[in-house]
Amino acid sequence: MHKLKSVHHLGFFIVFGFILFLASNRVDELRVYQGASVAVFVIAIASLILLTGYSGQVSVGQGALMAIGAYGAAVVRNELHVPILLSFFVAVLVAAAGGALLGAAAARLSGPYLAGTTLALAIGIPPLANQFSILGGEQGLAFDVGNPPASLGEDFTKYKWFFWIAALAALISMWLLSNILRSRYGRNWRAGRSNEVAAQLSGINTVRSKILAFTLSAGIAGLAGALLSMTIGTVSPSAFTYYLSLILLAGAFVSGISTLSGVMIGAVVLVGIPEIADVVANRMGSSENISTNLPGFLNYALLIVTVLFVPNGPVEQHHARQARKAAKKKIKSLPKPSMEGNT
Amino acid sequence: MKAMNRRKLISVSAVLAVASLAATAVPAHAAEVGVRSSEIKLGMTLPMTGSASLGYNKIPGAAKAYFDYLNANGGVNGRKITLIVKDDRYVPTEAVAKTNELILKDKVMALLAPLGTANVKAVASSVNPAKRGVPVLFVNTGFSGFADTKKYPTHYSILPSYQMEAKIMGKYIAENLADKKIGLLYQDDDFGSDALAGFKTAGTTFAVKVPYASGSQSSATAAGWITKFKAAEVDVVILFGVTSASLYMLATAAALKYAPQWMIDSVGGDSTTLKLAGVPAGVLYNAIGFSPVPATTDLTDEYIKLFSEIYAKAVPGSAFDLNVLLGMNSAFMTAQALKAAGLNPTRKSLMAVLNTNGASLFNSALSPVGYSGTSHVGLTGEWVGKYSPTGDLLPIGGTYTTYITDSGAGAVVKSTYKRPAMPAKGLPN
Repeated sequence: MHKLKSVHHLGFFIVFGFILFLASNRVDELRVYQGASVAVFVIAIASLILLTGYSGQVSVGQGALMAIGAYGAAVVRNELHVPILLSFFVAVLVAAAGGALLGAAAARLSGPYLAGTTLALAIGIPPLANQFSILGGEQGLAFDVGNPPASLGEDFTKYKWFFWIAALAALISMWLLSNILRSRYGRNWRAGRSNEVAAQLSGINTVRSKILAFTLSAGIAGLAGALLSMTIGTVSPSAFTYYLSLILLAGAFVSGISTLSGVMIGAVVLVGIPEIADVVANRMGSSENISTNLPGFLNYALLIVTVLFVPNGPVEQHHARQARKAAKKKIKSLPKPSMEGNT
Repeated sequence: MKAMNRRKLISVSAVLAVASLAATAVPAHAAEVGVRSSEIKLGMTLPMTGSASLGYNKIPGAAKAYFDYLNANGGVNGRKITLIVKDDRYVPTEAVAKTNELILKDKVMALLAPLGTANVKAVASSVNPAKRGVPVLFVNTGFSGFADTKKYPTHYSILPSYQMEAKIMGKYIAENLADKKIGLLYQDDDFGSDALAGFKTAGTTFAVKVPYASGSQSSATAAGWITKFKAAEVDVVILFGVTSASLYMLATAAALKYAPQWMIDSVGGDSTTLKLAGVPAGVLYNAIGFSPVPATTDLTDEYIKLFSEIYAKAVPGSAFDLNVLLGMNSAFMTAQALKAAGLNPTRKSLMAVLNTNGASLFNSALSPVGYSGTSHVGLTGEWVGKYSPTGDLLPIGGTYTTYITDSGAGAVVKSTYKRPAMPAKGLPN
């Protein structure tokens, strides 16, 4: 039964990938670029949903793990001239190693203490790059994935190439994640999150389970970091501010922190909000004060609205409503005669 | 309640959908991107909010003030200039995203005055204005690399490079402070390595060199720097960093009663910004400073007089300072280049003007720009001044003595450049 489900999922991802492929040929370059950004945010937000929503560990420092991955990829790419695919693998491995270390510490912390620790990382890790000349200081390192293969044609833009890479990476990681979350590991995480003592009594090693979640989440975040750097061509500390970590958290909540299936919503919102803000600001008269402060305002307003009205995210809310409806229908369709007989 | 949630969700999604559709509206067909019969569109990204925005966020208002003045006086061959400004918060990711919007959505003809070496580099790598043929006019950083036409064929520098400034400082030290012990505070990146290269060429030796990582500057770190300078018993401390580094250093030194002879670089030495941020004028008094443009308080200078009047009308209550002057000066040069680029200017004809005639464009600075087909070096010189008791930078002896040099091994010489008189009403002629 479980195997059958993964196969179903595989079909869905292949069809979805094909739709994306067709779409990328039909929209203009800006949309293609934004599509690549959405794919990057999908991966980053998914790493946070896995960690916070499924294993119950709050991270306000996902941006730091992204930075570790991005620097890992750029250093091996620049120093050892490895193929681009390999540099993405290195990003995953380096960030996962960092995540394992962090996870070992995090497993002893919970709630606000863990959030505080990860926030410290978000603020402290990226500027570390200034201390090592191999990391290029404030100006950062170049990270060039190279031009698209000539066989794709003259008109094939670099942004389309970025989009293909990022979208493929997003599809693969979402497929893997959705299967892992349905597996024994996913169940262990959810069990530990719901009630740690009960989980331990059922024979789950919750500490190991938490560290594993942190490691996997960090690896995925590292991939997102490397992809983000690909889209801007450089890796520098200023690209990974704590603000990035915070908006990722906002994106995860808007997506629905406890379900992977809404991840697109948060990613689209994060990429779309500055543009919507621009349009609104222009309508209101192009005051710079409005257009520079509106994106942040919209982000946080949306976060508050989400937490107030759809705390589990729109997708989860929808599922819950469907389930309630189905339950009501079932009750209605139940045979009533036996009840009459009793009175 | 549930029904209301759904309605809300639907209406929010509807608003989002409409907004994104509106955002994709395609502009009318034009001869050159960003040029219409009535308008020329230019774009700018720079930090408008966040810690790095201090002082620099006045640049768009300044440029717009000049363009509005120009538009009110007939624009460029009848076309008005529209400047679209976007906030990049000094984050490369944002700079790339916003520049993409400017080029691909807003369809601007050229980019104007982007700020920050890391951001300009990220944009050059990802958006690649060179490949798209988009001119990047008057880059607001002193990093000498952007003058390299092989690597950055469509970028035009404007500020004197950090190397030039360090060489001019070195020359001043050799002539006036030869027997003093010198200490140097510098930013530990391309900014600082450019400066160190310049000092090396000038033959300046230091008793102590204190690097700081960009973003690490604070009152606490400044106290640490002061300890090092005190231990080395230096007479002169050179501040070769951004405004916030000068700010913390001077404010902390004032608190600790540490008062060496200060020497401050031009990008970190804007007195209006420093004073507004809390540096007492008395601390700046007698510090040695450098600037490529006339003193911003010098109302006898025709450019300062006109530009400060225009700015006061456009942005009432905002002080006219170095950032404002540089912003207006870049707008003024842009207007001239556009006018010279023909009745129907294109990106190509605009860059051709800068490559062949760029050096003869009018500009308020006291040294010419070094544009040619093979170099996009901006201003090539600076004058040496001292801060007055009110904290304003004024030329030593009351007259501007400008030194010019290059970013290589060339000598530092007194400039013989005589700035041509400003065109009538400060408009392109």
